Amino acid sequence: MQAEALIIANNELVFQNAEKEKRAAELIIANKELAFQNEEKEKRAAELIIANKELAFQNEEKGKRAAELTIANRELAFQNDEKGKRAAELMVANKELAFQNEEKGKRAAELTIANKELAFQNDEKGKRAAELTIANKELAFQNEEKEKRASELTIANKELAFQNEEKGKRAAELTIANEELAFQNDEKGKRAAELTIANKELAFQNEEKEKRASELTIANDELAFQNEEKGKRAAELTIANKELAFQNVEKEKRASELTIANRELKKAEDGIRQLNEELEQKVIQRTAQFETVNKELESFSYSVAHDLRTPLRAVHGYARILMEDHSAHLSGEAHRVMSNIMVYAIKMGKLIDDLLTFSRLGRKELVKVTIPMHDMVLSLCQEVKSEHPNRNIEITVHPLQSVQGDSITIKQVWLNLVSNAVKYSKLKKTTRIEIGCGVLGDEVDYYVKDNGAGFDMRYASKLFGVFQRLHSDETFEGTGVGLAIVHRIISKHGGRVWAEGKVNEGAIFNFSLPRNTPA
Amino acid sequence: MELQQYDLLLVEDNASDAEMTIRALRKSNLASRLMHVRDGDEALDFLFSEGVFAGMESQLAIKIILLDLKMSRVNGKEVLVKIKADPRTQRIPVVVLTSSKEDADIEECYQLGANGYVVKPVVFDDFLKCIADIGLYWLIVNEPPYEQSKTTPS
Repeated sequence: MQAEALIIANNELVFQNAEKEKRAAELIIANKELAFQNEEKEKRAAELIIANKELAFQNEEKGKRAAELTIANRELAFQNDEKGKRAAELMVANKELAFQNEEKGKRAAELTIANKELAFQNDEKGKRAAELTIANKELAFQNEEKEKRASELTIANKELAFQNEEKGKRAAELTIANEELAFQNDEKGKRAAELTIANKELAFQNEEKEKRASELTIANDELAFQNEEKGKRAAELTIANKELAFQNVEKEKRASELTIANRELKKAEDGIRQLNEELEQKVIQRTAQFETVNKELESFSYSVAHDLRTPLRAVHGYARILMEDHSAHLSGEAHRVMSNIMVYAIKMGKLIDDLLTFSRLGRKELVKVTIPMHDMVLSLCQEVKSEHPNRNIEITVHPLQSVQGDSITIKQVWLNLVSNAVKYSKLKKTTRIEIGCGVLGDEVDYYVKDNGAGFDMRYASKLFGVFQRLHSDETFEGTGVGLAIVHRIISKHGGRVWAEGKVNEGAIFNFSLPRNTPA
Repeated sequence: MELQQYDLLLVEDNASDAEMTIRALRKSNLASRLMHVRDGDEALDFLFSEGVFAGMESQLAIKIILLDLKMSRVNGKEVLVKIKADPRTQRIPVVVLTSSKEDADIEECYQLGANGYVVKPVVFDDFLKCIADIGLYWLIVNEPPYEQSKTTPS
């Protein structure tokens, strides 16, 4: 019975060992599976290492580019420094970048959270691995229990047990190896995740940097273009400024020249003004003096007229009274003397009259009209002829040009000249007088030609002086004022007088008058 | 009281001219009622019966005054102004007798109201004729502005 029971128990143990062997075979398969998976993981790890190296290389390259970009940025910063206005704009751009960095910081924080999540998941996987380890330990414990039970059952089982133990050892080794692998995978996964994150971060940063670089490049190009434009404009402005500066200098020179010229002019003006003032003062003084002199002359003329004539009239009058009232008491000689007294009194009266006429001419204003010269001379000649009815006088009057002049005084001129011609030709049987004119430039020359006594040309200059006579009073009576009056009248008209003569052959007296006398 | 009515007043301060003038008038029988005074003051006194002429009959009906321009003290022009300014005498004819032929004098005298302006000739014969003509015209030909007083000259 007991054998039967033992056989049954052995059978049970054989069955259990068979089961265990089945489970060991399954575990071997599972171990192989794990080994394959580990191999696959190692392959992937190697690929990841290569990929990491690639990334590291790319990162290095990007780092270099980043360094280059940094240099470029510094260059740009320097240029920005140079360009004051643009710097402000870049400052704004920098603020924008800072804002973007802040955004990236936020993203990095988000990534950190994601990493933590991954770490947590890895942690969970580690926990499951630990649970598997615990399950394995449970199994090992169960196996130990079963071995205990098997050792208790049969030594035959010892072999199995030993074999199982060996298998258990191997399984433990495998488990440890698996744990090691799991840990290593875990580590690799962590690193791969970290690298992935870092790579993503780097890729993102690179992308951002490239974006920024391209933006900066565009901005730089824009700045460079603007700088070029500004340079051109600056060059143009520089040229324009130089031109302006030159013109300003020229203008300043001219202005200073003008200022100097103005000062000179002002000085000259002041001088002239002062001179004018002095002149005016002098003119006023002189005018006053002339007025005084004129008044004195007038009063002198008045005195001459009144005070000289009155005694003269008395001389003549008393002589006359003497001859009238006391004729009986006078001898013939007394009569002759009395007659002479009267003659000279008359002559003196005539002298005074002529002198007064002469002096009046100087003061009298000329009233200028167009004188009908020909008619005036014709009628005047008739008058003169009629005064000498006993003489044979022939007067030829050629057509005479009319001019502007003072009618009364010009008539006086003609009267004096024609009277003279008649007077100085009284010794000729026939008096021949020729009157005419000639137009010469701006003036008209009139002449009175006679066939009388003429004169010596040596004394021609004395003809027109006051009281100057070339003939004796016995031969030709006269006061010596007539030609002086002619001279004065013609001079006042702006004309000239002159004479030509030859003793006993006659004389020509000329006078000229301006054709267009200003009003 | 002297009741003499004059019809000609000669105002002349020069003795010779006065003598010549009076002679000329006398020759023409025009000097019977002539009064000769030697300056302007006397002339005005005579006309208004003042001063040395106080008590005389008024001489406002005188026919003509012959007035010399150039006199000492009150000159001819001043006398002329006074005669022509007084309503009692302004209508008495005044003939200026002078040696001056100055235009200004002639102009001024007419401006002041002179009735004639005569320049005395130097030659005595001309002078005589000139004075006679004046006397004849103003004393005989011309009708005086005032009726003569009925008082006849003595």
